[in-house]
Amino acid sequence: METLVADIWRSTPLVLLTLVGLIALLVEGSGKGRAAAVYWISLVGTIASFVLSFLSLNTEEAAFNDMILQGGYAAFFGMIFTASAFGTLILSRSYLRRLHTERGEFYVLIVFAAIGMMLMASAIDLIILFLGIEVMSICLYVLVGFLRTKLTANESALKYFLLGAFTTGFLLYGIALIYGTVGSTSFRAISAAFPAVSNQPLFLLGAAMLVIAFSFKVAAVPFHMWAPDVYEGAPTPITAFMSTGTKAAAFAAFVGVFLGAFQIAGSKLSEVIALAAAASMIIGNVVAISQSNLKRMLAYSSIAHAGYMLSGISAANREGETGILFYLATYTLMNLGAFGVLSWVEQKDDTKLTFDDYAGFSAQQPFLAALLSIFLFSLAGIPPFAGFFGKYYVFLAAVKADLTWLAIIGVLTSVVSVYYYLRLVMMMYFQPGGATVEEPPAQMAFIAVTCAAILVVLFGIYPSLIVDLTKEFLNI
Amino acid sequence: MFSLAPAIVFFPLLGFLFLGLLGPRLKNERLVGIVGSGTVGLSFLVATAIFIEMLGLPPEQRKEIIQLFAWIGTFTGTSASMNVSVAYQIDQLSIVMTLIVTGVGFLIHVYSIGYMHGDPGFWRFFTYLNLFIFAMLNLVLADNFLLMFLGWEGVGLCSYLLIGFWYDRKFETGGYAPGTAYTGDAAKKAFIVNRIGDFGFLLGMFLIYVQFESLNFDTVFGRAAVLNVGGEVMMWMTLLLFIGATGKSAQIPLFVWLPDAMAGPTPVSALIHAATMVTAGVYMVARCSILFALAPATLQIVAVIGALTAIMAATIGLVQNDIKKVLAYSTISQLGYMFLAMGVAAFGAGIFHVMTHAFFKALLFLGSGAVIHAMHEEQDIQKMGGLKKYMPTTYKTFLIGAIAIAGIPPFAGFFSKDEILWKAFSSEYGSVLLWALAVLGAGITAFYMFRLTILTFEGEERFDHRHVHPHEAPQSMTIPLIILAGLSIVGGFVGIPESLLGGNALEHWLEPIFAPALSKLRVVPHHVEITEYVLMVLSVGIALAGIYGARRVYLRRQELSALWQQKYARIYKILWNKYYVDEAYDALFVRPAVRLSNSLLWKGLDVAVIDRMVNGTATAVAWCAFWIRRVQTGVAQMYATVLVGGIVVILFWLMIK
Amino acid sequence: MNVETIFFYLLGAVFVGSALMMVTRRNPVIAALYLILNFFCLAGIYLTLHAQFIAVIQILVYAGAIMVLFVFVIMLLNLSDERRLSEAISFKKIVAGGLSVALLLELLYIFVYRKTDLPTLNAERSIEIGTVESIGRHLFTKFLFPFEVTSILLLAAIVGAVVLAKRRLD
Repeated sequence: METLVADIWRSTPLVLLTLVGLIALLVEGSGKGRAAAVYWISLVGTIASFVLSFLSLNTEEAAFNDMILQGGYAAFFGMIFTASAFGTLILSRSYLRRLHTERGEFYVLIVFAAIGMMLMASAIDLIILFLGIEVMSICLYVLVGFLRTKLTANESALKYFLLGAFTTGFLLYGIALIYGTVGSTSFRAISAAFPAVSNQPLFLLGAAMLVIAFSFKVAAVPFHMWAPDVYEGAPTPITAFMSTGTKAAAFAAFVGVFLGAFQIAGSKLSEVIALAAAASMIIGNVVAISQSNLKRMLAYSSIAHAGYMLSGISAANREGETGILFYLATYTLMNLGAFGVLSWVEQKDDTKLTFDDYAGFSAQQPFLAALLSIFLFSLAGIPPFAGFFGKYYVFLAAVKADLTWLAIIGVLTSVVSVYYYLRLVMMMYFQPGGATVEEPPAQMAFIAVTCAAILVVLFGIYPSLIVDLTKEFLNI
Repeated sequence: MFSLAPAIVFFPLLGFLFLGLLGPRLKNERLVGIVGSGTVGLSFLVATAIFIEMLGLPPEQRKEIIQLFAWIGTFTGTSASMNVSVAYQIDQLSIVMTLIVTGVGFLIHVYSIGYMHGDPGFWRFFTYLNLFIFAMLNLVLADNFLLMFLGWEGVGLCSYLLIGFWYDRKFETGGYAPGTAYTGDAAKKAFIVNRIGDFGFLLGMFLIYVQFESLNFDTVFGRAAVLNVGGEVMMWMTLLLFIGATGKSAQIPLFVWLPDAMAGPTPVSALIHAATMVTAGVYMVARCSILFALAPATLQIVAVIGALTAIMAATIGLVQNDIKKVLAYSTISQLGYMFLAMGVAAFGAGIFHVMTHAFFKALLFLGSGAVIHAMHEEQDIQKMGGLKKYMPTTYKTFLIGAIAIAGIPPFAGFFSKDEILWKAFSSEYGSVLLWALAVLGAGITAFYMFRLTILTFEGEERFDHRHVHPHEAPQSMTIPLIILAGLSIVGGFVGIPESLLGGNALEHWLEPIFAPALSKLRVVPHHVEITEYVLMVLSVGIALAGIYGARRVYLRRQELSALWQQKYARIYKILWNKYYVDEAYDALFVRPAVRLSNSLLWKGLDVAVIDRMVNGTATAVAWCAFWIRRVQTGVAQMYATVLVGGIVVILFWLMIK
Repeated sequence: MNVETIFFYLLGAVFVGSALMMVTRRNPVIAALYLILNFFCLAGIYLTLHAQFIAVIQILVYAGAIMVLFVFVIMLLNLSDERRLSEAISFKKIVAGGLSVALLLELLYIFVYRKTDLPTLNAERSIEIGTVESIGRHLFTKFLFPFEVTSILLLAAIVGAVVLAKRRLD
């Protein structure tokens, strides 16, 4: 009992967020018209969880019979998830109110999804990892299809669910095979047994299944096919959530298993991941060029970014791991920001989402155009914005791991990506037109997006702000 | 106290952010002016405090590196990895430069409050100026090449922005392509010419990284100190760095941008194109003295280029009629002296001249600004004259500046210039020829500076009284003039040589910085010789002769100048056209480049190859997208099929291959 | 070859056969019945592996509850035109089929031709693991946390189902 209480104290960010989620659900159920209350409770919960995560960064302790590891790595990702959930909540409110479909469950599901993500990042047992993925995914299936009257939303929710369930099968199969060869699902036991089992066919098969399942969640080629459709059909704030929080969670699990429990440097697993990385970078960037819908464009761009980060995993060294963490933290900021601006311009009936709809945006909304440009420049990886250092670190990691070819593909495809990011900037600044926002964004959302832009610049100039945070708990 | 160094850099940054973000809304000129100059003033105060503390410390404790944060890191810290920090190095050299930049910068900021009064771009001007100071301080305080390069590029950008500040105005291009051009063209010219130099610097930096596997000053110089003198790598490295310096510091062959840079507002000319930015090249060579010491061949080139630039620019200055152009050529010429000092391994003397030059050249430019202001934007000295009656303070301070630059004791310019002349003569790396060129240049300098002074302030009034009513400048402008005049008089006292019973304080102060280089070059401190006195008297005599000549020609026998113009028409024409360097560059580089671009690059490469490649890429992309789209049908079964395909490939790769 | 092995192969054969029949039937009700058979075989396999508890749960939950749900859904949807479920053979199907066969061959290769050293588990312990008592004990000691997380998972799923399926919101 005492250890249980101690374990709960150790996992305050997670426990608190769970409690907040449950309270929000009770409030929602206690009567009609409680959506605003649920919103505020959820918002406060994410902030509190963020702060608690931050405070626990420098301690790292296992809890609940070695099921989860709190603090350190989990806390770092906890900050990313809660920040992403926070941003999504803020964007959702104005988005839903505009559509007159504000409902408390929406916010509750966002909080539950964040709980699932935190479980994924803190798991040191495959069972918790699986449960975390499922908690997150189920919430997302519903959130994607939340606008029930919209056909595209239904369609994408169904697709996401079917393919997600399909890959869950592979994930479980992989876990079973690893359990079969190692005799345990605990990361520690797997890590200890890894040198002995790493060449066992069944273990490799299990590991391959995990690669597949994680690649699906991070939307890496060839398991990316769902992403464009789902991103396009989902409510824009949820698209933002999926491209930031979900992606970060999937990478947290990916890194946790493949760099924490396994030691894949120089192995065939690393080669396979490198292949997926290369394919993602090439296909993501090339196809993004031919998109006219911005949500689809950003979906392909998120596939490409998954490729960049996968090169860090494939490198399997300290630089790679730090690089991915830095990349995810900053990518969360810039993508949330970009989708935020998009969601303000977007119209109720899913229009105003193409490049042409941004002609002359800078003349009408100079500040919003500047914000969006910052995010786009950062996504393109142009210094002095944070995106540059993210790419720099993962490519550096690839070069150090003798994967220079991967780094070269990365740099070349980054050049390609500049084309479609700057095409939007060009549209906003150099094309005449009257693009504007229908109604000014809610003050809070506006402040949040502005803060994201400031942070993107700050981390671009001062990257060690994040890198120093990770130094404590990374020790490859 | 040393740990406060970042504050020096951050005050101007704060000023820049404040003015840049709120500028358009600040209707109050006074507030903008106070913020703009106040931030620089605060930096100056901090720098002074650090300097005073440094004075009290023994020499070996005067250096400190203040780490701000790791900028580009590799986390593992192996020797072959690139680790660059944002870190500032406080030492004897950087503090001197910082004091110059912030001190003179502050005065010029204050002056600008008066000069730019009523300009619609008032806040923009101070925003750029603060950004410039920020970049310049990064340049001089950086503890590694990359941060220095950032500052180097930053000042280049500010220079570009400020030259073209009045982007809607036109300016006289002078001899080359006679007529007028937009100030934006001058800005572009400055930027492009500087790019050439920057490219050299960049390549030099690559070479440094390849050779020393680091970009930190301490590491690089420490590793260089154990190398032997000579070696081709060192020669190329230093030559490339020097090309960078010739760009920024307007030396042969890249000096052509500086005269045109005068299209910018006069305080800009004073701050950027006279006192601070253009000396960045000199500072860089001084900072890298140990690298240059390993390549004596480069030092020779530096010395020759410096001396040639000094004399060439001085001769051009003889015939120019635009008050700012004359000062611009004089700046180029004085920078030549500084490089001459560097080339003969008199690094301390070179920095000394940087300092005194900052005082008197800023003074002269600001004085000329006051004149231009009073004459309603008239810059032609042939349409001036007799102004001393109307603007006595400006006249007196301008005269002090002219005497200082002419090298008359005990004004500041004498000590620093004489030090350089003596080293050019006596150093193992100097020669009589270099000395002779330099002395000749000094005489010409005295002549044209007094020509300028006399034509502007003395003699009959040649301007149109109906339109022009000269008046003394406001106090915000004259007070900086007076302070700078004071500095131009006493500024040289920090470097009185032993031969004149001084302590040569500045050189001793800087000694620890240059000691490794000097010991590599086996330069021994020389003792006072009788020759030194002879040369000193000789150079003062030549300067006096120049002044006398100018007074005689332009005050007493004005017909002489016209006579000479006819008699030596050919030389006059060459000088008036600045040795046709612009024309030569135009014919040699610009036009062939344009022709090449038109024919080969545009029609040959661009249309035939690149366009085809771009179009080809587009076609390829479209083709890929077509096929990928056929798979991306929106049918979930199809997606699952692709997914299974991926699994098949992965398993094949893992298990069977 | 002992009795357990014989049972394993027997059940396995029926298991694979019923799965194949299930996906190839045109009539959804018949397909569902094959699925029930499939579930029973799986429960049988569990039994041969000494996993009594899971075997019972398999029958209770899948063969019982979930199958009833399936049959209800099929009847409610009233799929009159059975052909809609099975389209003509197309290029896509050939590709999908080919890939599936390739995957099967790969898996066969891995399982049959590449030997894996598996950790051995003595028979007595494996009997222990499958009992209700042992599962219950583990569930409330070592695996308490996953157990609680499962409740969150179910709660989220319920909320989601309500949100998506409720006839009228508000």
